Amino acid sequence: MLYCDYCKVHISGKGEKCPLCGNIIPKDNEMTDKDITDTFPTIPLSYEKHLIMKIMIFVSIAAVTISFAIETMFPTRINWPILVLLGLISMWLCLIIIIQKTYHISKKIIWMVVIVSILSLFWDWNTGWKGWSINYVIPIACMSAMILMYITAKILKLSVNDYITYALIDAIFGIIPLSFIIFGWVNVIYPSVISVASSIITLAAIFIFQGDNIKAELHKRMHI
Amino acid sequence: MKQKTIKWKRLDNASKIFPATSNNKDTKVFRLACELYNDVNPKILQRALDMTLENFPLFTSVLRRGVFWYYFEMGNLKPTVTIESNPVCAPIYIKNMRNLLFRVSYYKKRINLEVFHALTDGAGCIWFMESLIYYYMTLKYKDYLPKEIDKINYKASISQKMDDSFERNFNKDLAYRKTFKPSYKKAYQIKGARNQENRMRLIEGTMSVKTILNLTRKFDTTLTVFLTSLFIYSIYKDMPSNKTNQPIVLSVPINLRQFYDSYTSRNFFSTMDVSYDFSKNGNELENIIESVKETFQNELTKEKLDLHLYRFMSLERNPIARIIPLPLKDITLKIADYFNDRKMTTSISNIGQIKMPPEFSDYINKFTICVSARRPKITLCSYKDNLVISFTSPFENTDIQRIFFQYLTTNGVDVEITSNF
Repeated sequence: MLYCDYCKVHISGKGEKCPLCGNIIPKDNEMTDKDITDTFPTIPLSYEKHLIMKIMIFVSIAAVTISFAIETMFPTRINWPILVLLGLISMWLCLIIIIQKTYHISKKIIWMVVIVSILSLFWDWNTGWKGWSINYVIPIACMSAMILMYITAKILKLSVNDYITYALIDAIFGIIPLSFIIFGWVNVIYPSVISVASSIITLAAIFIFQGDNIKAELHKRMHI
Repeated sequence: MKQKTIKWKRLDNASKIFPATSNNKDTKVFRLACELYNDVNPKILQRALDMTLENFPLFTSVLRRGVFWYYFEMGNLKPTVTIESNPVCAPIYIKNMRNLLFRVSYYKKRINLEVFHALTDGAGCIWFMESLIYYYMTLKYKDYLPKEIDKINYKASISQKMDDSFERNFNKDLAYRKTFKPSYKKAYQIKGARNQENRMRLIEGTMSVKTILNLTRKFDTTLTVFLTSLFIYSIYKDMPSNKTNQPIVLSVPINLRQFYDSYTSRNFFSTMDVSYDFSKNGNELENIIESVKETFQNELTKEKLDLHLYRFMSLERNPIARIIPLPLKDITLKIADYFNDRKMTTSISNIGQIKMPPEFSDYINKFTICVSARRPKITLCSYKDNLVISFTSPFENTDIQRIFFQYLTTNGVDVEITSNF
């Protein structure tokens, strides 16, 4: 066994330096390689995984800076750099939801619906309220989320407990367009009607067939 | 199709802090390792693990986020034994990822059991390890071991093991409330350059229990008091002189199972602060030992422990705290942890003696325990005559470790050092 004369300790393992004082330990002539075995595996440093991320952040910042710089030098009537900035923010919000370490696909879908709905409202309002967000985007987002959730649950063989709560949340969202119709905010009613109808059917299915499950799930998730 | 109802459990009081405060720098993972005399057979280890898991249902849990609290959901995930391929105490709990809260790996002669602290504490982990080693030994050496080898000692029923002992032993007597005085004196903080990728630098010193007990007898004290004092002494020797007006405060975990009637395999511990101020007291080891001994005597009483338990439980029971949504709770706990951390220099934890059937002693060399650390930390345990003192540190600097072990070697204790760096 190796011995550090300075620290007066025996050293096991194959290290050439004393772990305590960092001095190089002279090897005993009598020792063969057999006597020296490593006690811990050498684990290589993990390589840079986030290079693409870094490039994207860099490009975003550069794009915003350049557009503001150009706008300052050559002013135009509309404030387009703001649009670039908001556009990039919207893109990043969506991206964060997608790449976030949520290994939970149903949760991801719900977040996507929320963020897409908010962004569409924001952009619609910002570009002179033509009503396309509540006419089409929100009802269609809710509906496609329901379908998507069912398909992914079947493909990934998720157990009912895994997605039932999210299906419930989405079905409740899907009823919101009912208020659009009631208050006459929408001029194209078909997407809203279909969304509300399918939500009610989904809700009925959840409560009738999975009533106990949903109760148990809610009890578990909401315990205080 | 009838769905099986999912079993779930609330986190116990001590567990609640870990999910909120674990991160890549301090993973809140600890590792209990068993070093054998022969190379580990992974297939047998896997079978032993499967058998052990039957006795510890909580170990099949994944940690999930509810609206107000985290909870354990017991599922049917099966652990796989792998060759050691992660740095010591690498992260186990990753937010939103559904994985088991422990991992079993092996490397040559060593079996590693790494556990996320929310699942259990040192004592619970030893218990799991004992069971694992028992099955491993009886599977691997069944032809060599005597037939009448003790049947595995279950020690407790499954429900006793699943017991939330904080909840059961918490004394609701309001008389304690008045005695609670918070203090905010900043303790000395060890600083240094970090290891690459936030890895833990592990330095283990193996020595004979007999020899070190001879040394502690000279100071007329116990092993834990002696090592705690020596740790304070080593930190002091490494301290920049302009910082010596700050007290050195070590947090010492206490296994509450010995004070309360509990056989839980979940967390059941409290901590006490051992503080020493060099600006007010002498700087010889003897002075420190005297002071530490006194603190141990004052703190290790049922009344003091009851008080600790009451304080922690009342925080958890606070109706306002209960209805704060989990993301806000996480932030609050992180902030509270930050301020609490400033009152602490580091910690030392003696897991104690590990006992295995005597028939196994020809096959088992030693047990070692180590833990993820924000600053150099000591954890120790013993088996037979082998005491292993493990330092884990996120820093490159090893002066405290060197001073600590050099003191032992110059006082006649033979130390064998092993390191992962």
